[in-house]
Amino acid sequence: MIRFVAGRLLSAIPILFVVSLVTFLIIWIVPGDVTAEIAGGDATPAELEAIRQNLGLDRPLLERALAWYGQLLQGDLGHSYLLNRSVSDAVFERLPITLSLAGLSLVIATVIGILLGILAAVRQNTWLDQGAMVTALIGLSVPDFWFGIVMIILFGVFLGWLPTGGYVPITEDFFGWVRSMTLPALTLAFTQMGVIARMTRSSMLDVLNQDFVRTAKAKGMRARTVIFKHALINAMVPIITVVGVITGVLLSGAVVIESVFSLPGVGRLIIGSIQRRDFPIIQGGLLVTAAIFVFVNIIVDVLYVWFDPRVRDDR
Amino acid sequence: MGVYHQLKSLGRALTVTGALVLSTAFLAGGAMAQTMGGDFIVVQGSNPPSLDAMSTSSQASRNINMNIYEPLYGFSEAVTPIPILAETCEISDDGLTYRFPLRKGVKFHNGKEMTAKDVKASLERYRKVGATGNLLDPVESIEITGDYEVTFTMKKATPTFLEAFSSPRAPAVIIPEEDAETEAGKNSFVGTGPYKYVEYVPDSHVKLERFADYSADTRSTGIDGFGGNKTAYFDTVTFRIITEPGAQVAALEAGEVHLLEQIPVPAARRLEGNADIVTYENMPWAFNTFIFNMNVPPSDNPKFREAVQVALNMEEIMGITTEGLFQLDHGWQYAGTTYDAGDIGKEYYNQADADRAKALLKEAGYNGEEFSILTDGNIPGHSKSAIVIAEQLNAIGINAVVNQVDWPTALKIRLQPEGWNGWTLQMGIEPYLGPVGLIATLTGEKPHFIKNDPELDQLYEELISGSTVEARKATFAKIQTRMYEFFGVIKLGNIGLMQASRSNVKGFKPFRFPRVYNVWFED
Repeated sequence: MIRFVAGRLLSAIPILFVVSLVTFLIIWIVPGDVTAEIAGGDATPAELEAIRQNLGLDRPLLERALAWYGQLLQGDLGHSYLLNRSVSDAVFERLPITLSLAGLSLVIATVIGILLGILAAVRQNTWLDQGAMVTALIGLSVPDFWFGIVMIILFGVFLGWLPTGGYVPITEDFFGWVRSMTLPALTLAFTQMGVIARMTRSSMLDVLNQDFVRTAKAKGMRARTVIFKHALINAMVPIITVVGVITGVLLSGAVVIESVFSLPGVGRLIIGSIQRRDFPIIQGGLLVTAAIFVFVNIIVDVLYVWFDPRVRDDR
Repeated sequence: MGVYHQLKSLGRALTVTGALVLSTAFLAGGAMAQTMGGDFIVVQGSNPPSLDAMSTSSQASRNINMNIYEPLYGFSEAVTPIPILAETCEISDDGLTYRFPLRKGVKFHNGKEMTAKDVKASLERYRKVGATGNLLDPVESIEITGDYEVTFTMKKATPTFLEAFSSPRAPAVIIPEEDAETEAGKNSFVGTGPYKYVEYVPDSHVKLERFADYSADTRSTGIDGFGGNKTAYFDTVTFRIITEPGAQVAALEAGEVHLLEQIPVPAARRLEGNADIVTYENMPWAFNTFIFNMNVPPSDNPKFREAVQVALNMEEIMGITTEGLFQLDHGWQYAGTTYDAGDIGKEYYNQADADRAKALLKEAGYNGEEFSILTDGNIPGHSKSAIVIAEQLNAIGINAVVNQVDWPTALKIRLQPEGWNGWTLQMGIEPYLGPVGLIATLTGEKPHFIKNDPELDQLYEELISGSTVEARKATFAKIQTRMYEFFGVIKLGNIGLMQASRSNVKGFKPFRFPRVYNVWFED
């Protein structure tokens, strides 16, 4: 197992190198630079030129590339043009927000999604099945920004139960943090749980029709034991695949939710930096995000092996 | 003294005492109404690109910075230069020397008193990192001529210098000498304003705190433009960054925030009947313009540009662009301001005259070449204007296509001599700065329309060397005439800015930036 994990970790290095190279090239090809943001809407060309020189943006591409990789090898991701802080500070101070949002959403989406899926499978072709799948379909179909605004108006403005946006760090006030994360996490989870629910239903139906389940039932086992101990465990591999994919979607989908709920997370940082052309943040932020994606994929691979040792043997 | 006189004296004394008591009561009442304390939460849609006021001309930065920093001179409410950190400005008869005695006892947020050394160091830094550092180009040298006095020696007499120096665009603010060597954006954010910087969490908020040792300018009784007698009533002010307009409005309705720096017009109209919310119309706020690239066909042809001018229906463009908050105005200065040039050019404005436009196109020899309209999606008004303009031009036979990109890309493309024909731009601060600030962007080395109009360049030189306001007014009238002769840029109309606050916010007056001083919460 250790060898398996080490192999996966080593394979991440060339992937991250390619990511950094592609990111670097793409952002320097994209027209425009940060001067537009600094100078404001109606700046004169002379003002833009002055700012460009101040930031060293008039230097040749190769010179800037070498400088960036030189810094990277020393563990320095560079300095933001606009945020008055280093890239690593800017990214890592926001990472907990994005990870907690994605993490909370993942837990909610997975728990509700799996329960809905199981319910739909064991009560196949009943109104419960139909209801669960319609709920899942609505979650899949509704745009998350629209659903977010609806949640804000309902729970923030009309009912006044939860804040309309903003972030309270967990270190400052735990309950404030819970309140600030509830609506965003629910919104994000609702739009993703449908995929898990549908995959669970389909996977469970396959397993529930197999001989070993029939045998378990014939032995007089309780329905709950048959479903959770025998059927669900064996239905988990496709569900894990979907959950792994959704983890990525949640991390990237968090961008929209972070904007709607004014959460200063990594997604909003990177999207804002792309709009502002804050190149060091884009480069550093994408590298860190890519590393997280790679890491999540390694975890998914390990979980495959955990749930189904045949996978390891096949490899 | 008789009884009559005694009674008369007593009556007079009682009258005086009564008047004093009454006036004291009223004054006390007035003072009591302005309560101290609280956290005032202002919302704006984007991050300030920098909290170094000198190095940015962005509105998002100005909104915050002008509560932290102060310049020597700034604009009054009536857009005339007034002293802020300076006592006054004495200009020599030959216009070559500007002496600025400074206000004494002014403290920086770090506790140090401002002296001439700080002023000289700040202005030298401004030359290097100021986004509009070129406004000090006419200044040969800045000398310390006393502990509380600096003197500028000019290269040549520049009658419009003080006006330009007072510009809030990227203001020449005064910072401590210790920050003088810092790069752009790397200063310690220490100023002399009524609020001091506490923290900036990008994409979340900027926090300011009342500066207890603020040295109020007691020469005036209240605030006046960027200057005047400022009082910080709130303990703290938080500028929250909420990008989504729907979320901004929801936060205001829920009472979680107190002021929206900008609110969508439909939302403002909806909230007009809400007793908890007050809306403010800041009109006029900006020019909506359509700029031609005079370097490439077909927009290099003045007859073609004239055809576009007479074809456009400004009412339709402005109505759609601003969602109803606009003024139809052909003038290149706001109506009623000092340099307003009256009806000059009005006969070309909002004509929507398809027949005349078609005749002009024929005269121009237009053969259906592509007319590429550059615009961006970041500022919705830009793209809306572009789409309506394109539709109107298509209707008269012009092959207009819209090239919508994002804002940084649009700025990159419009600097190129080719690849675009027209560009939609809202000019916010230039019209406010007066004719010099506006025309400077249309002349010089890199005018907005790529290729210079020599006559306009010459008129600009005449404008900045005009020794009196009357002389400059006469020149500006010639400039407006010229604008409607070569049609390098089309004025589409004036745009307003809608703002909204909770109704317990008192004293707020809409201005070029949200002044968070002299504003308080009602008990």
